[in-house]
Formats: sequence, C-alpha cells, structure tokens
Amino acid sequence: MTARSLKMPGAHMSALIPLLAVLAAFAVGLLLIVATGASLGQALSAFSQGAFGSSYAISVSLNRATVYALVGIGFVLSARAGLTNVGGEGQIAMGGIAATAVALQPGIADLPLGLAVIIPVLAACLAGGLWGGLAGFLKVRAGTNEVISTLLLSFIAIWLVYWCVQSVDLLRQPMSSGTTLPESSTVPESTMLPLLTGSYASPVTVGVVIAVVLALVAAVVLSRSTFGFDLRFVGLNPVAAARAGIPVERMTILALFLAGALGGLAGAAMLLGEQHSLKTGFSSGYGFDGLVVGLLARGRISGVIAGALLFGFLRSGGITMEMAAGVPTALVQVVQGLIVVAIAGAAYWMDRRPG
Amino acid sequence: MTVGIAPEAAAPAGMTGGRAPEGDMSVGARFAMQGVGKRFGSFDALADVSIAFHGGEVHCLLGENGAGKSTLCNMIFGVHRPSAGSMQLEGAAYAPDGPRDALEQGIAMVHQHFSLVNELTVVDNLLLGRTLGRVDRTAYAARMAELSELYGLALEPYRTVGDLSIGERQRVEIVKCLMLEPTLLILDEPTAVLLPDEIKALMETCSRVAAQGTAVVLVTHKLAEIKQVAHRVSVLRAGRIVTTSDNAADDIDRLVGAMIGRDALAEGEAIPGLSAAPRQSAKSRAAAQATGDLALMVDGVSFADATGAKRLDNVTLTVRPGEIVGIAGVEGNGQSELGAILAGLARPSAGRWFAGNSELTQASPKQITAAGVGIVPEDRHLVAAADDMTLAETILNNRMRLHARFGLIDRRSVTREAEGLIDRFDIRTAGSDVRFGSLSGGNQQKAVLARELTMPGLRFLLAAQPTRGLDVGAVAAVYGLIRDACTQGAGVLLISSELDEILAVADRVLVIYRGGIVNERPADPAHKEAIGAMMAGQKP
Repeated sequence: MTARSLKMPGAHMSALIPLLAVLAAFAVGLLLIVATGASLGQALSAFSQGAFGSSYAISVSLNRATVYALVGIGFVLSARAGLTNVGGEGQIAMGGIAATAVALQPGIADLPLGLAVIIPVLAACLAGGLWGGLAGFLKVRAGTNEVISTLLLSFIAIWLVYWCVQSVDLLRQPMSSGTTLPESSTVPESTMLPLLTGSYASPVTVGVVIAVVLALVAAVVLSRSTFGFDLRFVGLNPVAAARAGIPVERMTILALFLAGALGGLAGAAMLLGEQHSLKTGFSSGYGFDGLVVGLLARGRISGVIAGALLFGFLRSGGITMEMAAGVPTALVQVVQGLIVVAIAGAAYWMDRRPG
Repeated sequence: MTVGIAPEAAAPAGMTGGRAPEGDMSVGARFAMQGVGKRFGSFDALADVSIAFHGGEVHCLLGENGAGKSTLCNMIFGVHRPSAGSMQLEGAAYAPDGPRDALEQGIAMVHQHFSLVNELTVVDNLLLGRTLGRVDRTAYAARMAELSELYGLALEPYRTVGDLSIGERQRVEIVKCLMLEPTLLILDEPTAVLLPDEIKALMETCSRVAAQGTAVVLVTHKLAEIKQVAHRVSVLRAGRIVTTSDNAADDIDRLVGAMIGRDALAEGEAIPGLSAAPRQSAKSRAAAQATGDLALMVDGVSFADATGAKRLDNVTLTVRPGEIVGIAGVEGNGQSELGAILAGLARPSAGRWFAGNSELTQASPKQITAAGVGIVPEDRHLVAAADDMTLAETILNNRMRLHARFGLIDRRSVTREAEGLIDRFDIRTAGSDVRFGSLSGGNQQKAVLARELTMPGLRFLLAAQPTRGLDVGAVAAVYGLIRDACTQGAGVLLISSELDEILAVADRVLVIYRGGIVNERPADPAHKEAIGAMMAGQKP
C-alpha cells in the first residue's frame, strides 16, 4: 500500500515532470549549439536579448504567447469532449481573412466605441468558429474523423489566404503600379488592436489581456459549469451522455466551433495586432505550435498558459539567435520537438507506473 | 461465492447417474479431459469437468448463459489454462501454450465473434497469416472450392468479406478452420446470429465434417439443432457437467430439465439472497395496481439493424402500474434492441410505444426521462455511466442543472443530494467523490438505481439483466429496490436470461425468441420447463 502510494504521481510531480523535461530539452539544445561551432555565450546572450532583453522583445514574445494560448485553450476545450482539433492553423487563417475583409469594409473604420475593432474581431471568431464547426458537422453527419477534417480544412484555409491576396477582386491591394505586392491593403488604424502601453516601443496588444481573461473563463467553465460537465461527459462516454439527456451531436459541433472561434480570434490578434495586412503564409505555423501547446497542457488551462509563454519566448529568442549569433532558428524548433517528446514520454511513463 | 447460482445444489448425484462420463468413455477418444477446473479469482467457472470427444461425432454442449461453455471451449483452444485436472489429445497429454499451439496440434475453433478482415476478399482472408513469400491465390481458391464442395459451404472466393451476409462470413470462418484439416473442430454458439435456413445449412455442414472423421464440438442453446445433428449431448450447469446423453432426440425433456436445474431448485432458493427480500403479498400488489393508464405499452414494435436483419419483430406488450413483467430469453434474441429503444438510443423501424399516455416512439432520451421512464441498462459501463466520473456525478448525471445557478454547479448541493442517496440506497463507498469505475458491481448498480428510481414521476422502470455479475447480498438489495418502486406504483419490465430470477421476481413471464414474443405464462415454477423449452425455440 505505502510502496504503491509512493509511486503515485502527486500534484507536485505533474508540474515537476514537464519542468524536468523542458530542462533536459534545453540541455540538448545547448549541446547542439556547441556542435554547430557557434560560441555558446554569444548564442545565449543573443537568445535572451531576443526573448526578454528589452521591453520590445518581451512585448513581441507576449504577443506570440497570446496566439499560442488562444489556440491551446481551444484545443483543451474540444479535447474535453474527446475531440482533437488539429485545425488551429486554418482557423487562424480564416480569422485573418475575415478580420481583414471586415476591417477594410468602408464605414467600419469610422464606427465609435471601439466597434471598429470589435466587429472585425468578432467576424474573425465567427469565421474560425464556422471552420471548426464544419469539422464537427462532418463528424456528426458523416462520421468523418475530426483529426483528418480539421487538418484538411486547414490546407484549404491556407490556400484561401493565397487566393484572397492574389486576386484584386478579393483582398489584394489596388493595382497602382506594376509592383503591387500580393497582399492586402493595410487595415485602417482605428481597426488595429490597441497597444497596452500606447507606444510602438513595447507593442504588446490588448490581445494578451483578452487571452488571460478567456483562460480564466475557460478554466471556470471546464471545472465548474454544467456546460463543462456535459463536455466532459460526452468525451468520457457519448452513449451514456446521450442517455442522460445531453445532446451529444450538438455538443460535438459546438466544441469544435468554440475551438475554431478561439483560433479565429488568434488570427485577428495576429492581423489586427501585429501584421496589419494579409499576406500569403500569414499564419506561419502558429496554429500547429498552438496545437502542441494544447497537447502538452494535458487538459489543464494552467498548462496552456505555461506552454504558451515558454513557446512564445523560445520563438522570439530563437529568431534573434539566428540573426546575431548565426545559430539556425531551426534549432529552436528542434528544442521544441525535444520538449514535446520528453513531456509526452514522461507522461506515458507516469501513467504506466501506478498500474 | 458464486453468483446467482448454487453449483453444489445444481449437480445432485442422482442427475448424472449412470450416464456420467466415466474414465472408460475416454478410451479411444480424440480428445478427453479429467477433473478439469477453472477458477477466476474466487469464482469457479468450471469444476471437476470430465468429458470426451470422439472422431466422427458431433458432440453438443448445452447450458444457460454463464454455465461455463465458453470457458470450456477456450480452455481446449488454449486461451485459458486449467486450474486443475488434465487434458489429452489422441491419448497423449495436451497442454497448449496458446491458440497458435492448439491450432498446430489440430484443434480449430470458430468463435462467436468473427475474426475476419472486412476489406479483404474471401481468399485473402483465408491466406492471411498462413502464407509466406509468394501469394498463391489460385491454389487457395481451388482448395477452398474443394472444401466448399465437400462440406456444402457455398462461397465465392473473390468477393469482399464486408459485402457478405453474416451466414456467409461464418462459412468463411469455418473454411478457414477446415483448411488446417483439424482433428477437433469447436463451434462456439455458431447459430446465435444465423437465419433459419442458414442454421439448417450449418447443421448439414457439421454432420459432413464429422462424417470425414473429425470430432465436432457444437455449443448451442437450441434444442432443434441438437435433435438434428447431435450424436452426443452434454449439459453444463454452473460449471459442471450435470448430464450426458447419446440419444438426444429422446432425451430432450431431461436435458432441458438439467439445463435449467429443474429438479434441484425450488423458487427463491434458486437465487441465493432473494429470499432475503420478502416477496410482496398479492394483496398489496393488487392495491398498487392502479386502474389508470398502463405504465408501458409497446405496440407492434419492430427493429432492423444496419444490415437490414430484423432484430425485433412486431413486439406487443403491456406493463400495468405496480406490476413486474419478466422477459425470458436466451441473450441475443432482441432484448438488447428492445432495451435500446426504451432508452431512446434507437428508434423502432415500425410500431409505437407509450409510457402512461405519452407516446415516446420518436422521443429523445431526455423526453423519455421526463415522461417518467427509468432505465437500468444491461451494459451499465456503456449506457448508464462513465467509469471516470465520480459517484456523485454518476448518481446525478441527468439532473446536474437542478444543482446549478447561472450555469455554475453548486458542488456542495451535489454532494448533499448524492450523499443522501448513497445512504438511502446503501451504496458502500469511501465517499461521494470516488471514481465510479472503482466501485464493486453491486454498488455501481445501486448507484444507477438510485438515479433512475428517484426521478420525479417515475411510472415505468426497465431493468435489463439488473443482477448480472452481482454478489448475493447485492442481488437481494437490487430486487428489494425494484419491488419498492413497484409498490409505489411504477410498472417494471425485467429482462433477464436467468429464468430462475424471473420466476422469483416477476408476476408474469413473456418469452422472447428471435425478436418476437412467443408466449406468455404466469411466473409459476410449474411453467418453468415449458418456458425453458420455448426459450430454446420450441413452439409453444
């Protein structure tokens, strides 16, 4: 009895294991830096400079973390209903298209009371939500596995962005000369996400606040609300959930809609907060990284926040490291991959031991 | 110790008499076992079984659900190892390492559940795992044609298994076994899923296989089949061979009696623990039977499954308030489908059904619950609960909203109601927040009853196999609760494959066979034999 309870992972273990996994992955990362022949000190100072060396660096890292957190929260929500949403990338793209299209509509920019921002943001949520909900609908109607459908819908969305910015009939900026770029016009200033500091020297947007609020809301909804209970019931046993009167099909669609809406919101945060115009490849892998954040969180919103911050700072640091110290930024992705493998492996090991 | 059955009482010395398989019977036998027992935990699935199978014979194994038939077959096929006793194949000691070893030694088995790859053709299924290097489909197809001809197993080699009927798939399974030229072929309840003419063809095949010198073991519930093909019949009850006959056709009555334990058991004793819950007096029951609406009316309900096979055929039945109606039948005769329809998890393909005066034919589970219908499903892990939820969540899983304000659940209120019900229904647990799946079967069932019986306005309760897997004390408690619901005016439909249980608890008995209600009898031990025979397919 005692021997067994000693092996049971407690709450502190479930936080400790991911931490150790991250440290181990970092250690391997350091070895790899040395192996590339770069100076370790130089690389590390460049990394920390890029990640948190200035208020600008911190702002950029936080903006990245916001995107990861929103996608990760959506992943955890749908995972509670037993669904795996791997379509964050496409949902971001749909959100970006919708935010751009609505923000560029004549009249939107002149709306009062912040509506000039709120309406494009809500449009982005709706577009991402419909993209996710479509996968839910396919699952309910035709039994299509949502892993496949959300992934394939992502590819469609990514190419929709391409089409939108290539065609003047859609979102491509007006052809004024032969050198017009395949991208949309810049959205009006009044539709951009406000900066928390009000200064471009530290361009962290209100998106960070929105993400934190949504994380708190999601945590409460998942752990305390009847909606969270129903989601969990559907995930644990859909047949028994149906018997208990829960509309399983509606919950399935709704769960993926919400995950998609959060992805769409992430897209709006990227577009209206940082990029300000739609370009090809604008989602640039954030959806897939957000998916990884969601996976690593193992169902916990606190885990999403931790993962989002980690990945946000890693990415920013990595980019500076490449520019300043000549260490390829791909190395950061290697470290990210190692973190995933280490945490997943540790989790597998922890789950097995008590049995 | 054992569950719902009393093995000692079930095998009185007089029953086996001179027909017991003695040592000399195994002389010259293809396969024999002596004194074999199999224990799962504290449960004796088989005890002191001695039996012999001879080449050229079809040997039928007859017995109720849980009598140990499948355990016996799985032991011969190497899935389980005996806890006691010995086995011989062709006179030499036989102790297979596993199914592969059994196959190599010439023993093949057709399982209840097919092990075919639906996406592949018949021939590809046959050579799956049996071929190395070059795949010679033509040779296999030729060999298959040969076997098909010899044993009357019509099959087209290049059709996809997924397109075949159940009967055809089973033929593929049998051909797969016969390709190995087994000396002993076991068929575990092969006819449970077949249509009448498919059964006839299968029986013909069994006879032909035996005629080639193979020993055939056929597990079945169905008397007609036994009459048709059996050279020898052994009856298993509660893990023991209670009788063996080599003249099945003349011995049917005696065999049925042995199967259901007729002579040994009086009502009430048949299920230890039931006597602890005193049977309601006829008077109080009559008082409870209000004159108003029926608790349940099922009117001409049919149900066809995804393959189009009719699982329920024009079922009509009524349950009055305060009445317990038993449905007796061997599993797989439509009980699960009826249960699914009453739970709102399936829709009838024809007919209608009502609880009280509300028609519920197309109703959702929520509407069915609201109409006062409680369901104790046969598979509680699939339908009644999620194992990973807490006990409190499980007890209240259909009424969480009553404990919520603005969508947020008041945990204290949940715990309070759950703990009240845990006390009232005597659920033995360390607390209301333990994992449901960690409770014993009896306590799980009490939790399900606690939920279903405390719905406001309960007028009908379906109890499907409510005591399966429960220990003696829990069985008594479950029936006590069901009877209480009855006294309070609810009508109860009790589906069970244990006839003793139905006779002890119900007021009247409907017999279900192949999806239809074939007869009604009073729940009187005097009718036990007739009911047993009808369960096995004899015409009323």
